[in-house]
Formats: sequence, C-alpha cells, structure tokens
Amino acid sequence: MRRSVRRLGVLAAVTTLVLAGCGRDDGGSEAEGEATLGTGVTSEPCPDAVDESKGCIYLGIISDLTGVFAGVGVPLTDGGQAFWKRVNEEGGIGDYEVDVTTYVKDNKYDPDTHAEVFAEINDEVLLIAQSLGTIATEAMLRDNDADELLVLPATLGSNWLFEDRVLEIGTSYCAEGMNAVDYGVDELGADKVAAVHFPGDYGDDTAVGARIAAEARGADFTDITTGPGADQQTAAVAEVLKSEADIVVVATGPLELAAVVGGAVSQGFQGKFVGAIPTWNAALLQSPAAPAIEASYLWASSFPGYDADTPGHEAMREAAGDAPANEYFAMGWSGGYILKALLEEAVESGDLTRGGLLEIASSMSGDIESEGMLPDGSGNYAGDPNEAAVRVTQLFTPAADTDAGVEPMGDIFTGPTAEGHDFTEACYLQK
Amino acid sequence: MTELLTAVSIGAGNGSVYALLALGFVIIYKAMSVISFAQPAFMLSGAVLVSHLSPRMGFVAAVVVGTIAIAVVALVVERVAVRPMVGKAVFVIAIITIGIDIVVRVVAGAFVGVDPRTIGDPWGLDVTTIGGVQVQHRHIAAFVVTGLVVALLFAFFRFTRMGLAMRATALDQEAAMAQGVDVGRVFAVSWALAGALAAIAGVFASAGNPIDQNLWIIALTALPVIILGGLDSLGGAVLGGLVIGIVQAVVSTYHSTWFPFLDTNSGAIVPYVLMLLVLLVRPQGLFGTKEVERV
Repeated sequence: MRRSVRRLGVLAAVTTLVLAGCGRDDGGSEAEGEATLGTGVTSEPCPDAVDESKGCIYLGIISDLTGVFAGVGVPLTDGGQAFWKRVNEEGGIGDYEVDVTTYVKDNKYDPDTHAEVFAEINDEVLLIAQSLGTIATEAMLRDNDADELLVLPATLGSNWLFEDRVLEIGTSYCAEGMNAVDYGVDELGADKVAAVHFPGDYGDDTAVGARIAAEARGADFTDITTGPGADQQTAAVAEVLKSEADIVVVATGPLELAAVVGGAVSQGFQGKFVGAIPTWNAALLQSPAAPAIEASYLWASSFPGYDADTPGHEAMREAAGDAPANEYFAMGWSGGYILKALLEEAVESGDLTRGGLLEIASSMSGDIESEGMLPDGSGNYAGDPNEAAVRVTQLFTPAADTDAGVEPMGDIFTGPTAEGHDFTEACYLQK
Repeated sequence: MTELLTAVSIGAGNGSVYALLALGFVIIYKAMSVISFAQPAFMLSGAVLVSHLSPRMGFVAAVVVGTIAIAVVALVVERVAVRPMVGKAVFVIAIITIGIDIVVRVVAGAFVGVDPRTIGDPWGLDVTTIGGVQVQHRHIAAFVVTGLVVALLFAFFRFTRMGLAMRATALDQEAAMAQGVDVGRVFAVSWALAGALAAIAGVFASAGNPIDQNLWIIALTALPVIILGGLDSLGGAVLGGLVIGIVQAVVSTYHSTWFPFLDTNSGAIVPYVLMLLVLLVRPQGLFGTKEVERV
C-alpha cells in the first residue's frame, strides 16, 4: 500500500514540476526561482515575520481549543507554536519562515466542525501540523480536495500505522496497552488484568493492546467499557472491584480516570492503574481524587517528560517562559521536529508542494534530529507498519512537587508483547 | 448485601441531585405551565461559580454566594427573555428556554477554562463505614442538604404569603390575579428558586469529582424524574429523583451480572426505562394531577 502511494506521490510531484514550469498551475503551484511553491507557500513574508526578506510556509492546526479535550489541544497548539517561533528566530527553513498561527481552527472536538474548518483552510496551508480527533482526521484524509495532504495527528491510534499521509509520532495506544500489562506482569506479578476504556478508536485500541498482552502472558482479562462523565463511572468502579485486577489499564479522559481511581481506591481496591496519555491532566492533583491518584496511578507515555534533561527540553522550557509546565506542551513542541526535517528536505529539493512533501515523507526512515525529544524510532514512514511502529513506553508517577505534576519512574522500556507484535491492522478493529 | 447497600447509598446521593434539579423544573412548571430547559445551564453555572469563589472565601460561603448569584441570574433571565413571552404558546416559551440554556452554558463554559476544575468541597472521597457498608460523605451531605432544602421549600409554600400566592397561581392563574396576586412576581420568584436549586444541585454533582463544561448533562436525568414523579408534584420530584438515583446505581453496580451481553453502561438508560414503565401505568406520573378535559 505504501509503495503504491509512493508511486502516486512521485507521479504527483513530477506532474507538479512539469506544470510549475508553465508558471502557476491549476493546483495553485508556482515556480519561485528554482523552487516550486505549492498551496500554502508564498514568497511574501509571514504576517509576524522575523525576517521580512523570507517567504512564508503556512501550516494549519485543527485542534480542540474549547471542547472536552481543550486541556490537550490548547497546550499542544502552544507547544507547536513555540517550536516554530524558535525555528523562525534561528533563521527559519532556508529562505522561508513557518507560520502556525494564521490558520489555527477550533474543532470543538466535533467532526462536523472539523470538516467545516478544514474546508476553510484547505486552500491556504501546505499541511496540517496538528489534527485532533481520530474520526475527524480520518474523514479529512478522505476529502477529495485533500488527496496529497500530509497530517500530523494529535492522536495515537494504531490505525495511523496504515495511513501513508499521516505523520504519526509516538507509541500507539495499542502498544502502550501491551507495555502497561507487561509492566504489571513483570514488575508487580500481576495475573489479573482489567481495562477500563471508552468505546471507539482510542479506548478500544488501548484495551485490545492490553488484552493481547494479557493473553500472551497468561493473565485473566476483564474488559470494562465505560462512557464519558465522572458521574457515569459507578458501573466501571463496581467492575474494577469485582475483577480484583492487579493492574488496570485506563483509556478514558481525566475526569473519568479520577472517578474510577478515586471511587475504586476509596472502596478498598489495591491494584495499580496505568493510564494512557489522554487520561492525564495535572489539575487532577488538585481534585479530591488526588490521594488515590498519587498512590495508585501511573501515566504511560512514549515521550520524555517535560522536565527531561535534554537540549530540546531545555530550549522548550526556556521558550515556555513563565507558562505552567505541561506535558502536552512538550508533545506539541516535539512534533515540530518531524515537520522541520520534512520541510528542510523539501526546501533543499526545491519542491514545496503537497505532492513533493508526500514523496519526501514516504522516504523518511526515522533519522530525525529531535534534540532528545522524540521517542526512539519516530519518523520512520518509509518502512512497513511494523518497521514504523514505535513501541517504547515511559511510565510516570504523579508528583505534586514537580512542575508538570509527574516524574519518570524507571527507564523507558519495550515489553516482550509489544516487541514481538505483528501489526496487521488497527488494533481497535480486533475488538 | 453490602454491595447492594453501597449502591443504594450512592444512588441516594445521586438521586438527591436529581431531586433538587427536578424541584426547579416543577416549580417553574407549576407557576407558568412551561418546562424550562434552562436548568442544566444554571446547574453548570452554579458549580463553575462556586469553583471560582471557593478558593477565595471558603466552600460554605462560596455555596451561599454562588446560590444567590445564580438565583439572581435566573431572575434576570426570566425578566429579560421569558416575561415578554408570557401569553405566547407554551411551546414557544419552552423553545426560548432551550435558547437560554445554550447561551448561559456557553458563557459558563468559558469560565471553566482548559483544565478540569474542583469546587473545593470538604467531603472529597472520604467514606464512613456504617454496618459494614462504606458510605461516601458527599452522598450523605447531598442527602441531608436536600432533605433540609425540601423542608424549607415546603415551609415556604405553606407558611409565607409568597408561597401562598405561588400555590394560588399554580391552581388557577386568572383567579389568583383576580384576588390581587402579582403573577409576574410569582414567575420571577419561581425562576429564582429554580436557579438556586440548580446551583445547589451543581455543587453536589461536582462534589468529589473534577468538573468540565459537560457537567450540565447530568441535569438531563431530571427530565425523566419529573415525568416519573408527576410534572406538577413537588413530592413526586423528590421521590422520583431518589427512586431513579437508587435504581440507576443498583443497575450500574450489577450491570455486568444482569446484562453481560451489553457492552456499555446500562445504568444510563435506567431513568428512561423507569419513566416509560410508569407512564404505561400512570400517564400523569406517580403523583401528577390527572388532566381532565371537557368535551
């Protein structure tokens, strides 16, 4: 599948180059000196240009800025913007600076709104630097007017391993679920595992990963589907208690996590909870569930923590200034390295079109300079899904005395189940 | 048995929240013969306001100030958006209250911010063991405070001039007017009371949990409560709230045992199933007034 799309990409790039030779083409490309400029690239400076002599590359962001996942979307967006501000201040990408502020749209975590705002900016941006919401992103990729559009998703479903136009970063929810269970079995001696999760791509992806690992390790597995809302977790809490699980993998939002962990622990539950990335919000440490969360919850992520000691994190913290430390800010910043590598190569090749970028992305093999901020193996879009899959996990413990509210626990690791897993389709389809 | 009693205690706490909300619906319905769909917004507004006030003035003062403030907001909303519509079709006014709900929710939601908020309640997730049953303090508090509020409300309707005026208006609006009752004032007080009750409900719905702008969804459960209890029955609202809260918690607790083939939480549909069952037997609800039409 990747090969056929790569061919399509080459064909598109060649076509664009030929058309560019005749000046501006129907697709919006134009020749600028030796470079071919596509949609969202101009020789005019960016609105807030550092250097007025440089052209501008416009990237779009469609995130949840006011909806239920605003706690994720806002800092992700801030982090991405801070990253590109630094890049621009350090000279930009060749003869261009990068704008990620003009075309920022709020999807309110609603697929219809997502589609509307995408239609508004589709003809204005070179690629989508952040798209939050799996269903909405899937729909956007199927849009006839976006057949060469590259997207950096703000979700970690294993389905992205099978999409050629998606620049997935980090470990999938599925592999994260496997690692959580492997940790429970290897470090806690767990023989009973449960997964509390939302229905749908995110929750099911995590739960299927946990189930695969539980089966592989010979542990009993209890699947607990739950809906949104802190007040709707009575059944989930009861199921967790009945399961007597040693480890519970959670794939919900922060409110549901607090209700489940707080509710179960207050009723005497002794097991450990491991939450997927979206379960965490540092504000939970101010909630009534904080004691239970501090005692029984671990956060699973594949990204180094906000306070990590790397050149990238140091630069990020300096750029963040007095803004509260936030792990999602760090992830938003981290995603910038993938796009920076992509754009640098595009500028070097002289093809700043969507087709050109698709071609370049299809040949990226993971050798990304990220100043220590991206998980090992990130940015490999040339190989097959199993080669591209990042499989590492770093566990964090809540720590109210740290800036970001969490601190790493132990080393980053890949469990035996995730290590040997053969990704043949999105995990959530195996529910 | 312990598990069942634990579920009952949870249900009594949640049911108290439903009862407070349902009382607001019923009070407005009795005054204006209109179902106000603005209650969810007042509930969210109350919780959000208390979450902002609590760190500054302490929880109890925040609840008092927040409740009064939301009552005033409801009063203003009634005067500005509802009163001019009096005399129009009931359906039109009900639709207007939906609009009010959306506007107020959007405004209140803007004050939630990016991260979940907490209201700073003193109960948290603390529990007391009674006869081997773990009962959460927040549920005890919700139940007790609801009991007090209901007692005060009934005393208000029974012993005050305004309460008498409201009862008279509920019985026959035109006759009340003929007797000198200021019906406009009755409408205003009804909305203020409903707003205050929704704010208190919001506080207890938020106790023990962080909140976001979707808190208002809880208030939708009050709709089957008022249908079950009877649209014009204050007692029905209280009983309906408790019944639905308890049955919902019990079904949620035994969900996987009773409905292993269902993937999601069956507790969420309990209020509506109960409502349907009651309507099949008593179309006017458990305690509602049977409608008589002359032909």
